[in-house]
Amino acid sequence: MSLPIAPSGPAPRRDILLGAAGTTECLLGNEAIVRGALEAGIAFMAGYPGTPSSEITDGFARIAKTRNVAFEYSVNEKIALELAFASAIAGGRSMCAMKHLGLMVAGDPLSTIPYVGVEAGMVIVSAGDPSCHTSPNEADQRHLGPMLHIPVLDPSTPSEAHAMARAAFELSEASQLPVLLRTTTRVAHSRADVLLGPLREPRVSGFVRDPSRFVPVPANARRMRIELKGRIELARKWMAGSGFLRVEGAGRDVVVATGAPAATTADLLRELGATQQVKLVRVGAVHPLPEREVMDELRGARRVLVVEELSPFLENALLVLVARHGLAVTILGKHSGHFPEEFEYDPLIIQRALFEALGVGEAPRPRPPTSAVGVRAPSLCPGCPHRAAFVAARSAFDEDQLYFNDIGCYTLGYAPPLRMADALLCMGSGFTLASGVARVTGKRTVGYMGDSTFFHAGMPALLDAIKEHANVVAVVLDNEITAMTGFQESPDGGKIEAVARALGAAHVETTDPYDLAASIATFRRARAATGVSVVVVRRACPVHGARVGTSPRAEPYEADPELCRSCGREQLGLRCDVPTTEGYERNLARVAALRTELEPAPEIAPCATRCPLSLCIQGYAGHIAAGEYAEAVRHVVARTPLPESVCRLCHRPCEDACVRSALDEPVAINDLKRFVVEWAERERPELLAVPKDPPNGLSVAVVGAGVSGLAAAHDLAVRGYAVTMFDAEKRPGGLLTHGIPEHRLPEASVSKDIARILGLGVTFVGNARLGRELSLGELADRHDAVYLAIGAHRPRTLDLPGAGTVRTIDALAYLRAVRLGESAPLADRVVVVGGGNAAIDASRTALRRGASAVTVACIEERDEMPALRDEVVAAEQEEIELRNGVRPVELVPAGLRVAPVGGDDAEILLEADLVIIAIGQELDPTALGTGGPSTTNGKVDVDPVTCRTSLPRVFAGGDVVAGARTVTDAIAWGLRAAWAIDATLRGRPNADRRSPPLPARPSLAAPRVKAPSEPRRAPPHLDPQARRRSMNEVVGALSEKDARAEAMRCLMCGQCGNCRACIDALGCPAIAMDTSGAHVAVDPTWCIGCGVCETLCSNRALHARTPS
Amino acid sequence: MRSGTFPRVQILLVGVGGQGVLAAAQILGAAAHEEGLPVVVGQLHGMSQRGGSVQCTVILGRAESSFLCGGEADVVIAFEPLEAVRALPQMGPTTRVVMSRSLIVPFDAVLARTPSPDVDDLIAQLRAVARDVHDVDTRKLMGGVGEARALNVMMLGAAVGLDVVPVGETAILGGVDVRCGPKYRDANRRAFSLGRDALRATHVSGEDDRVRA
Repeated sequence: MSLPIAPSGPAPRRDILLGAAGTTECLLGNEAIVRGALEAGIAFMAGYPGTPSSEITDGFARIAKTRNVAFEYSVNEKIALELAFASAIAGGRSMCAMKHLGLMVAGDPLSTIPYVGVEAGMVIVSAGDPSCHTSPNEADQRHLGPMLHIPVLDPSTPSEAHAMARAAFELSEASQLPVLLRTTTRVAHSRADVLLGPLREPRVSGFVRDPSRFVPVPANARRMRIELKGRIELARKWMAGSGFLRVEGAGRDVVVATGAPAATTADLLRELGATQQVKLVRVGAVHPLPEREVMDELRGARRVLVVEELSPFLENALLVLVARHGLAVTILGKHSGHFPEEFEYDPLIIQRALFEALGVGEAPRPRPPTSAVGVRAPSLCPGCPHRAAFVAARSAFDEDQLYFNDIGCYTLGYAPPLRMADALLCMGSGFTLASGVARVTGKRTVGYMGDSTFFHAGMPALLDAIKEHANVVAVVLDNEITAMTGFQESPDGGKIEAVARALGAAHVETTDPYDLAASIATFRRARAATGVSVVVVRRACPVHGARVGTSPRAEPYEADPELCRSCGREQLGLRCDVPTTEGYERNLARVAALRTELEPAPEIAPCATRCPLSLCIQGYAGHIAAGEYAEAVRHVVARTPLPESVCRLCHRPCEDACVRSALDEPVAINDLKRFVVEWAERERPELLAVPKDPPNGLSVAVVGAGVSGLAAAHDLAVRGYAVTMFDAEKRPGGLLTHGIPEHRLPEASVSKDIARILGLGVTFVGNARLGRELSLGELADRHDAVYLAIGAHRPRTLDLPGAGTVRTIDALAYLRAVRLGESAPLADRVVVVGGGNAAIDASRTALRRGASAVTVACIEERDEMPALRDEVVAAEQEEIELRNGVRPVELVPAGLRVAPVGGDDAEILLEADLVIIAIGQELDPTALGTGGPSTTNGKVDVDPVTCRTSLPRVFAGGDVVAGARTVTDAIAWGLRAAWAIDATLRGRPNADRRSPPLPARPSLAAPRVKAPSEPRRAPPHLDPQARRRSMNEVVGALSEKDARAEAMRCLMCGQCGNCRACIDALGCPAIAMDTSGAHVAVDPTWCIGCGVCETLCSNRALHARTPS
Repeated sequence: MRSGTFPRVQILLVGVGGQGVLAAAQILGAAAHEEGLPVVVGQLHGMSQRGGSVQCTVILGRAESSFLCGGEADVVIAFEPLEAVRALPQMGPTTRVVMSRSLIVPFDAVLARTPSPDVDDLIAQLRAVARDVHDVDTRKLMGGVGEARALNVMMLGAAVGLDVVPVGETAILGGVDVRCGPKYRDANRRAFSLGRDALRATHVSGEDDRVRA
């Protein structure tokens, strides 16, 4: 026998369990059982806590020492039962207590103990749970009586529980059988007056050696089986005289009731004044039934109504009895349909049955309808370490990760938003279910259980998983206490790691759940490993700590309204119409937890500050990270009218500003955009179309259907304008359809962008050149406004000697001819002069048209070339030769002579049979015609905010004002012009509904940042050799897996105005929206100041209150 | 014992796990026992510590079961308005309701972004069924207590103020002290008095059944 463990708290001065004999105490059913056992002189008590039995062991924990009772909280119920049996055969009265599920754990010894028999009295308390108040099933324990030859007592009140607990020892000794004292939640957790009897000192008579009695080898077992029959009859005899078959009232109709409903029925009959109308037979002696005495009560009855919860246990016994004795009495109950076989019986169920079966009383009055109040499900307490552990796990694993859970507080992780239980069965099932599912599906699974559960049933499960190399992350949530059942002590949790290693676990880690970053990293390592990984998540239960004073409550937290749900972008007028989602917020919380430093924290992410379109980049990155592509697309199209083109051509100033660069490499922002745009084209093309306002009766002429014109036309059409777009070319698109080669922007992609814009009802008029077919004055007369976006088309020329000796062509003319399939010169050796994108495009195009050697010659050094870096690298991969730092000197029949910039070195001949000139374009001053707006240095003068020119109602933007810039800049001009035209024609409030991009802002100093390193994902590229033979697009899109991984690299460093991560990702019940709905509010009476919310608040709005 | 003559009184206490409903039921039961009243307390707590719905019964007078016989409470002490409404099926034309106005929106509703219900609408639902409904602005009153966990004692005080529980103030405060210990004695006394005084006027005047403390 093990030594009693010290009770968990100091005993109060006068314990309710130790009142004087002859007095009355108001005792809980469970306390009444403790008192009954003490009055019987119990010597040994063991149990495993389980609601609704826990107060029995808890009671002993308080008073065992003072009463000289050996007591322990056992590691599990089987052990408790075996220890109690040991005491009983050693001559000491013993009890063990558990919930009904626990008795099943002890099923093995339980089924043999009756065979062997006991010396001193042994009482097994098993608390059942009709209605599943706290249990996964409501199994009817009474069946164990006949099944295993165990006498069963079933109390109806605390007072009866007290009497039965005391008397059960006598029954046990009289029959040498263990006795099952079966309670239910209603009895165990009701408190009522109990008349106390005298306490008795424990006595132990000692173990008398007799192997033939105590060793059930088969020969002995067969003998014992015969002896059992006699023992049961002894028990039946005892039952008959026990007083646990009681009769109240009188009448020709009989009600036989047992368990908690017997008390309810007695109350009802008194209330209804029917005690002289029916006879109530209260059966506490459930098995073996004192048959003769029961028959005596039924003889002469007309009808018998049996009232018992769950199965028709007693009803069936009575049916057999009546049949055997040939009694002409009708047995009513469950078989007659008067009672259900499930759940507790409230008085209304019994009242209705009494009325319908026996005509007693009246039918219950109809109750007011149940109001539609939403469920208030229990949840993990504020500050619960399990919650933090679950948040860390969710942050470390994919959304489709399977989690298997167990019995304990952490079961509550089942509820949203944590959703940490995909299946759950019983004590220990967290590991076995994880292991079994892993083995049949081939997936790595996660299993959870608590410290107490680990010792209870988890160790064999873990050993089994290790033995079979199961692909499982076995997580022990060690809060150093058995919290769910009322803070009973559990074995020293500090042993868990050593136990796991001793069982053979190779990968064992420990983490503090409040340190989310470390815990996420721990789970990531466990995720990456194979075989069994054991993660011990350790943090003492703070509720228990506060109760016993080891960890007093910290200051509660509060949300700073200046920061909570405040978005720097919105403050600058950038509207956000994309709501956050749970997945988005979970990613925000994850990143915030991993981002252990971000100082100073920017209000707006630097990438968005630099984006010409003012895109909310973390908005779409965050949704991609969460797998919410539709929301990501909404962020993109909200500010990008040409998504297919932008996601291929953007010069990505955002990536230069990316805070992540300080850690490893910038996030591949444009690749993320490309991924979602292609996803939308494939899965949800309707998402790419922006909803259109009704027509507003105004019309705008857009002159120039290039990038800027298309963008303006789009936004004007969306705002309800009738838009007519004119272009000198036959088809719209400008550079996109006439200049950018197919290998960068496939025709199929750009066509979609253009088709979407024309689909908004924009009219396109081709072959209409300003100054020839069109006049600005006429356009201004016919429309409410004009947007000039004619671009810059006159190529700059090289004035070199030797013109005409070798064939030359302007780059844009060359690219245009190739793109349109018109005749363009073919050449074997090509030299391109220039260092911009047009030069690189021309060189790569020439290569694809069969040139064997292509050279790009430019005055800039390689790193200073204006072309996009990726394009330069791609050209090099294609074996295009770069001649940097040279200036063209002379065209000669064999090619182009160049000389090093600033040097006197000898000139070099670059052999070529075609020289392509790519040194830029300028505005053709004649293009505006006469009466055009004022210009300066060949550019139209405009206000940079309102896009107004010197002419009324004539606006201008794009290359015509800014000189040759980028595709993305040109779009920004178009969007700004559309806003400016709308603001001019209809006023700002209307225009601001669709906010224009912000002017570029200077980059702030890069914040200091700390977060785990994670490699950048690159999209697939066409093999360089294959590129020489085709115009196919070189760069592909990221795979879904890579896109999500890349999106998860985003540090989400800007603030979010819609975030509720502390509610939706953490799920702390101390946090809710405030009454205005503008910010979150922390309830200071619930918050215990754990600080986990602060760790995952991306806006850094949550802080501990300053102590007052 | 006064069991022979004492009329049966069925009291239902409802609230949210963590508000101290169970403790209040136990205190009331112990106080009744101290006064020699027969009492049955139903404190089926389930997972009540974790913010779930809690219902406890205190039945004074001759009773064996902790169920409300007949299904109807004589008195409902509701620590939270939604939980009061949840208890509507246990109310009838003789039921007297003492309730806190202080709403705790269920976390499921917070997650689902469901708008908060209007407390006066909830009270109107109760008035349609119960004999009378008396609400106390506990959140405001608790400001004068300084110990959030004393809410349950305040609600007991309110019930005493309205004179709906046949148990004396001294016995209840004695039960509070036994249960909560000396550390919270002063806070509990303050909470009890504030609750009691908030509804005492109502009881004395017997007119207006609606008091805003």
